[in-house]
Amino acid sequence: MGQRISKLNEDIRLDHDLLNGPRHLTFEEKRILANRVIKKHGVAGVTLHWVNALSWFFLIFTGVALISADYLRFAPQWYLNMMDGIFGTRSALLHFHISIGVFWVTTLLLYGIFGYKNYLLDFVKHDLVLDGDDIRWFPAKAKNLMGKISHYEMPTQGTYNAGQKAYALVVALSTALLIITGPIMAFHLGSTTIIQWAMLLHFIATMSVFAGIFVHVYMAALFPEERPAFFSMITGKVNELYAYLHHYKWWKEIKNQEHVFFAEELTKDGIHLPELEECKNIKDHQAQVYTIKGEKL
Amino acid sequence: MKKYAMVIDMDRCVTCHACEVACRSHYDVPVPYYRNWVHALPPQGVYPDIKKVSYVGLCNHCDDAPCVKACPTGATYKREDGVVVVDKGLCIGCGICIEACPYGARYIDPLNEKVDKCDFCIDRVTNGEEPACVETCIAEARIFGDLNDPKSKVSKLVAAGAQQNISSKVNVGPNIYYLDSHDNFPIIKAAFPPKVPKMPTPQKMWTNVIRPLFWVAIGGTFLGQMAAFATQLFKGESEVKE
Repeated sequence: MGQRISKLNEDIRLDHDLLNGPRHLTFEEKRILANRVIKKHGVAGVTLHWVNALSWFFLIFTGVALISADYLRFAPQWYLNMMDGIFGTRSALLHFHISIGVFWVTTLLLYGIFGYKNYLLDFVKHDLVLDGDDIRWFPAKAKNLMGKISHYEMPTQGTYNAGQKAYALVVALSTALLIITGPIMAFHLGSTTIIQWAMLLHFIATMSVFAGIFVHVYMAALFPEERPAFFSMITGKVNELYAYLHHYKWWKEIKNQEHVFFAEELTKDGIHLPELEECKNIKDHQAQVYTIKGEKL
Repeated sequence: MKKYAMVIDMDRCVTCHACEVACRSHYDVPVPYYRNWVHALPPQGVYPDIKKVSYVGLCNHCDDAPCVKACPTGATYKREDGVVVVDKGLCIGCGICIEACPYGARYIDPLNEKVDKCDFCIDRVTNGEEPACVETCIAEARIFGDLNDPKSKVSKLVAAGAQQNISSKVNVGPNIYYLDSHDNFPIIKAAFPPKVPKMPTPQKMWTNVIRPLFWVAIGGTFLGQMAAFATQLFKGESEVKE
């Protein structure tokens, strides 16, 4: 028991030291952080991500085959022929596209309505709103990629970095556009002029997301530095080294919150750790601290 | 292969509108719209030299149909026998074809919100019957048949000088021919000239601006990522570094 407390004490001491700002880590510190995991996504978030990804896949897969006029067409003719072969008739293809669309929109609306407090507000706050550090991140990242500045000179990032946020903004706006324009075309809600504009906006929204999908998939699935983010979309968890290096502001918030929790629990057991005493001061900020609502750390 | 066409003998038409009524009742065409129409012009000329002229019209099932090209989903297509038809299951009622049609032959059916137009009564024709308007015409002013068969009445009348409603600006190969021996057809052509096919603004933007733009954007990000991935493979993978 005593040994465990001293282990906890060591962990807390390291955290406490690191909470003063990002710095170069020793090999030992890296090893410790790499072996600790913290939760990044709840089950709801992970599920929604994959339902969304699968829906997008099927919708783009069938959608580009629905645009068949030469002056509008995006996919090559062989692709359209192939889809005709798979679905039999073009109207069956349209029916499939609309069915998946209805499923997708229903899922999103259910999340939006029932998860308004738990998911939607958090998503808007942490994934869509860019702060000053985020704005400064773009030129810094460009310099970083050119090798002019090191990773530690970059503005620290929250739950998502500015690049992820910018793409999330594009996706969110496009999703809103698609939810409006899709039903207009599928169920003829409006005059022919409105449907003609809906077609254009539907196309623009889809292609804006599609243009970024290569970056999103490459960064998550293939790029070594961001690979923990990919696995976090399956397990919901990331290792703390990744969190510390890539999302310092978020890591700090989680740690502060964890320390408040530890302080309270250990006090109950009659144990006082000096490093945790300070946490009581930040308790007031707890309301602003990011949590995965409804799930204890 | 057949190529269906229709000849309208203007000398025989008495503007009784029976064809219009037959078509409307056969297809439940809602009132302000026509699949097939008889537009009577006011009396032409100065007394006593007066004539009464009617424009008998329907879808021209054009060889180079602008509506077929305009339809974004391929719902409007030309059958092998030359009949231009609409696949209602695929039509989304966008109305781009309506603006493309030079003859005003298309409308959105308010009952199902899909586009509709004359299909040469292709179901009746397949069953060996004539189109409803042809069968009902009291004066036999409408003649329907196969243009590829030189022995058909339609072929003979076209060879004898039946004319299409085309202009120097618009000629998309219409398959409705007009027979006229009283110089009435020029009056019809002047009153109902074929319209130049129009493209709606959003579709113009799509084809001229948006599509090229996205080709560049998508091609750019794809190639960029390919290059990044190639560099990564070339360098070899290492464990996560700072």
